[in-house]
Amino acid sequence: MQTKEEKEEHRQPVFENSFLQWSQWQLLDSILPTGGFAHSFGLEAAVQSRIVSDSNDLKTFLIHVLENTGSLFLPFVYSTCTSPNMENWHNLDRILDATLTNEVGRKASISQGSALMRVASAVFSEMPSLKTMRDASLKLGTVTFHHAPIFGLTCGALGFDSTSSQRAYIFITMRDVISAATRLNLIGPLGAALLQHQVAPIAEVILEKWMNRDVEDACQTMPLLDTVQGCHGYLFSRLFSS
Amino acid sequence: MSNGEEEKENSVVVEKVGGRSSITTCLSRYPLKFISPKKVGPSNIDAVWVYVLNYGGGIVSGDRILCKFSVGDACTMVLTTQGSTKVYKSVGSKCSHQILEARVGSNALLAIIPDPVTCFSTARYYQKQVFTLSSDSNLVIVDWITSGRHESGEKWDFDLYRSTNNIFFDDGQPLFLDTMLLEKDKFGLVKEHMLDYQVIAMIVLLGPKMQYIQNIVQDNVKRIMTEQLQNPSAALSNQKSKADFFMTKPTLVASCSVFGPKKIGLIVRVASVTTESVYKFLRHQLAPLEPMIGVPPYR
Repeated sequence: MQTKEEKEEHRQPVFENSFLQWSQWQLLDSILPTGGFAHSFGLEAAVQSRIVSDSNDLKTFLIHVLENTGSLFLPFVYSTCTSPNMENWHNLDRILDATLTNEVGRKASISQGSALMRVASAVFSEMPSLKTMRDASLKLGTVTFHHAPIFGLTCGALGFDSTSSQRAYIFITMRDVISAATRLNLIGPLGAALLQHQVAPIAEVILEKWMNRDVEDACQTMPLLDTVQGCHGYLFSRLFSS
Repeated sequence: MSNGEEEKENSVVVEKVGGRSSITTCLSRYPLKFISPKKVGPSNIDAVWVYVLNYGGGIVSGDRILCKFSVGDACTMVLTTQGSTKVYKSVGSKCSHQILEARVGSNALLAIIPDPVTCFSTARYYQKQVFTLSSDSNLVIVDWITSGRHESGEKWDFDLYRSTNNIFFDDGQPLFLDTMLLEKDKFGLVKEHMLDYQVIAMIVLLGPKMQYIQNIVQDNVKRIMTEQLQNPSAALSNQKSKADFFMTKPTLVASCSVFGPKKIGLIVRVASVTTESVYKFLRHQLAPLEPMIGVPPYR
């Protein structure tokens, strides 16, 4: 039998943990205003160039985007999640800025990263380190606020382990591509939910393949998608900003 | 035969001698050879041309080739090939490595304008090019790959292709870090990512002397792609071809991005169904280099 005090001791960390879970879910919730839904990850350009014209093409496109996300961005999420200090973050921010050679993708990363840092430091006020780092970085004026390192930083602060942080990054990418697909009328809401569920096991395989890698290993694996996404600025009419 | 363990170092140094860009060091070792013809362009144009030749026409499994180039202040050097670089089938899954390190001086120009790399089925190829520049250096890089020996029915049938192009300023700050990895693995074939595209190309134009060409290329690519992309009003005005237009993918997709401080760099990415159309694209877009290097590239 446990004494009352021992029970209390056990309950304390569980309580903290349960509170963290609310924050973790909130980070992944589409209601968090980080601007992800302004972006289609190249889907709009792929549709207008007839690379994607039906739901089969969409599934292939989605898998390819996730693969490229895994190879290019997960190393950055992994690094800031496991070493959530400002020096590491600023270094990765600079490296990612030179790595994102596609202007459309680079601007999307900056706008989503800046928004996430702003929202996270205001909302998750129980983690003062986020606000401290943001304020100090804004003062420096040399930080570009790319999304993946900031996502890793936030995940780390909210107590995600490094595997969950990387899985979460793939998850939100999938969420945003599928959301864009529904708004481009490629798929209905129920079809979107089905697609998300069908692709989850594939996304898990992609995660296992690319997680826990060094930033030096970050690479592009889908050059065709990159070329097509770069055409976003040439589109005659646009719903999305990337 | 080449010894897989040993790295073979090759180097070319170009400096001003008597006011002209001149080769002051040229070392090449089997299986590579550098040839520098004296009269590539008119004599009033100050540029050194170096052709890279491969004995046996290509890179053999396990080759490790290291090339170092140095282009002195205000010099111009052009590096090119006389045909596609073939990477032969890998033996015992050994990877072939080709590493290039180049320094480009102040107000100098290095133009790397080779034919494409063609990897045979099962080939494993790793290429890394690292450039160190001053703030006013000029650089042209063309890096491209075809899907394989089409006459043998090979399309994206190699095992591994990894190409890195990293550009740094001489204070160590990264300007452009790009690695493309195409790998056959149990999850998927490269062919599936490429749809029907058979060529992937990248063109970098960097530095103050390239500004003028960057602007021309950006305008050209925008014009080419705007015609290719779905334009509702244009489609309606041309009903006859509408059905076809909506069915087929563009045979050539290209896009431009600026990069770096003050947008000093431009990268153009191209995917194409045929090699010839990329040659045509390169000839057209890089023609304005002629006054700097003596002859128009890819002629």
